[in-house]
Amino acid sequence: MPPAAVTNLGYVPPDGGWGWAVVVGAFISIGFSYAFPKSLTIYFKEIQEYFSVSYSEIAWVSSVMLASMYAGGPVSSILVNRYGSRPVVMVGGLMVSIAMVLASLGTTIIHLYLCVGVIGGFGLAFNLQPALTIIGTYFQVKRPLANGLAMTGSPVVLSTFAPLNQFLFDSFGWRGSFLVLGSIVLNCCVAGALMRPVDKRVRFKPSDGPPRCEGGAAEEAAEVDVSAQSADPAPEDGPAESKSQSYISRYIDFSLFRHNGFLIYLSGSVVMFFGFFAPVVFLAPYAKHQGTDEYSAALLLSIFALVDMFIRPITGFIGNSKWVRPRIQYFFSFAVSYNGVCHLLCPLASGYEGLVVYAVFYGLAFGMLSALLFEALMDLVGAHRFSSAVGLVTIIECGPVLLGPPISGALVDTFRDYKYMYYACGIFMLVPGIFFFIMHYYNYKKVNEELMQSALVISNNKEALQLRINQDDETMKSKYGLDTVD
Amino acid sequence: MTSSWKQQLVQVLLVLVSCGHGDTKTAAPTPTPLPPVTPLKQDAKSAVLTGKNFTERVELSSPVNMTLSCTWKGDQDKPPNITGHWRKDGQEIQDSRVTVMLEDENYKLIQVFSVVSEKDLGNYSCVFGNEARIDFILEVLQMGEKRDKPVVSYIRDFVVMTCKVEENKPIPTTWNWYTSNGTDKEQINTTASKRFKIVSEERETKLKVKDLTLDDAGQYYCGAVYPIGTSVGQVELKVITFMEPLKPFITILIEVVVLVAAILLYERSRAKKDSAEGTQTNAEQNTEPQGDDKGAEGNDSVRQRK
Repeated sequence: MPPAAVTNLGYVPPDGGWGWAVVVGAFISIGFSYAFPKSLTIYFKEIQEYFSVSYSEIAWVSSVMLASMYAGGPVSSILVNRYGSRPVVMVGGLMVSIAMVLASLGTTIIHLYLCVGVIGGFGLAFNLQPALTIIGTYFQVKRPLANGLAMTGSPVVLSTFAPLNQFLFDSFGWRGSFLVLGSIVLNCCVAGALMRPVDKRVRFKPSDGPPRCEGGAAEEAAEVDVSAQSADPAPEDGPAESKSQSYISRYIDFSLFRHNGFLIYLSGSVVMFFGFFAPVVFLAPYAKHQGTDEYSAALLLSIFALVDMFIRPITGFIGNSKWVRPRIQYFFSFAVSYNGVCHLLCPLASGYEGLVVYAVFYGLAFGMLSALLFEALMDLVGAHRFSSAVGLVTIIECGPVLLGPPISGALVDTFRDYKYMYYACGIFMLVPGIFFFIMHYYNYKKVNEELMQSALVISNNKEALQLRINQDDETMKSKYGLDTVD
Repeated sequence: MTSSWKQQLVQVLLVLVSCGHGDTKTAAPTPTPLPPVTPLKQDAKSAVLTGKNFTERVELSSPVNMTLSCTWKGDQDKPPNITGHWRKDGQEIQDSRVTVMLEDENYKLIQVFSVVSEKDLGNYSCVFGNEARIDFILEVLQMGEKRDKPVVSYIRDFVVMTCKVEENKPIPTTWNWYTSNGTDKEQINTTASKRFKIVSEERETKLKVKDLTLDDAGQYYCGAVYPIGTSVGQVELKVITFMEPLKPFITILIEVVVLVAAILLYERSRAKKDSAEGTQTNAEQNTEPQGDDKGAEGNDSVRQRK
């Protein structure tokens, strides 16, 4: 059993209190970030007719928005490192709002790409990263639970938006709807207002646990103390780095690329994201292909969203339990592999009942993975480096996220059968899952070894210190003849 | 083979009958022009009646010789023969009464109708005795996606309204658009009014109305013209001002501002209360300086000095 948690944040996270209000804020921000691009698709048909463009040209709006959201990650990280979460989220909310208002007055499709796509996407990026980061500052012990609850925002907001968007569309057409959505999205500013910077005055009493030097941004906190391997170089690098490195690296931590856990996570997720979103996108078309009618196909998505909604907090709760928390990377690997297995088995599902079963299992898998996605990263790099880590991860994930659905679509078109796409997605998720299992087994072992080594070093130091004290005592006593020499 | 002989006999009879009377009051089936210039297509629809009533819809796009056959299982008591006749739109077709024999426990009525123009469409019924009836509703091809919700657009903006025919259905000869003028339908003339523009492809037609005004709101009809008749689809247009969505926009904006202000004010008052208490506790402790960010920095320097 790894030693008890040594938080290296320099303060005790509240793990409650105002933290729960922050979770509500994060819930809203994360919900908008993920659900907003997906929910806009309801307007595409009319906009397509209005501007007389093809469907793929209109679908680009969603892609540009998603791409900007992921590409804006590093910018968001830099701003959060500098200014904290609250201002960034509020600015993000304002940006999306202005983007939607401008879009409602748009006269060409390029106008929409720029407003909704680029500005809107960046605004959402400024919501997502800070929301995730601030949870890490408020929670340590209950962090998986807080993460799970916050990530539940995505399916909940999506489910609320679906009928809301339909209502807006029927009442106001697409222009008016964009205008009203611009005001609804301003609620992200309310979420930002809730993200009060954490009170760092409650200090950690350094009576038990080894003293460690801090190096500002290079400081770490880890449950299993994965920081052991990089905490030592940090103090020397700290002052030297800010002088010799460029301006940017002061705000974004590129030393993460030397962090084993981060590299494992990054390499695994790059492959994983190729198969992450595609099955959701193709669930309804696959169902229709099997012969179900449009309403039953839509019902499948609702079942999926409902299961997703409930499993996220439950996963957070499980991740928090004392059996799972120290080995949470295994839980994460399990979630990834389970997704893969689910997709590989999907082609075996026959008839509508089979599809319902698949939707339920896929909802479980998707929810589990989403709830743990950022918790795993936080667990690996620690709350202080998380902001930079998530920025780097999202910009690198940008590629697979965007390419995933079109590749799957191409697979479906070439083979005229959905099962090859499901096999491909299954492989894309199963291989990283197994990769995670193996790599984290070695990583945990290495971390434990280093922990034991550093504990040994410290106990040696203590002994050496004790020896010196004794020697000094002896010399002192002999010097001043306090010892009875007989 | 016998049925086709019967068909021809009936056809000839009908021709003689209609030539003799020339009565247009009773909805008599139009006689086949003899000889037909282009041979009409043949089609057949049949239905089996087990109860008292049955309805079948038949969609047509071009002129056709439609053979309708009805089979009736009969009542409790099955008399060896009963009288059956045909109706069009509720009215009995003249001289269509025949005696039907019971064959294999069934009564059968077969009739061929020549459907060439729009007035030949309607509700054709075969009636057994006085009660049992099968209705064949012959109508023009209906259009695919029926849009039951109105299209919304804004003043001085433009709108594009679409009508489509499904993939597997035949292609209309041409498309027309109509606007409602009281109870009438008035065809839209694109040369006369420059604000209207119609772009029609094979299976799809688009009406673009520019420079909208509140008067433009209402029902618009798209007509797909087939040889047999015109299939009409309906699109409703709603024109609103930009004030309409602006009202909820401003409401939600106010709500957001109020919430943000409330949260920040609450925090301000909490911070004041805390700092009031904090100065008391600070006097007891002798290490920590106060303030959020300054506190962290100050502590950093304290620790580094160690």
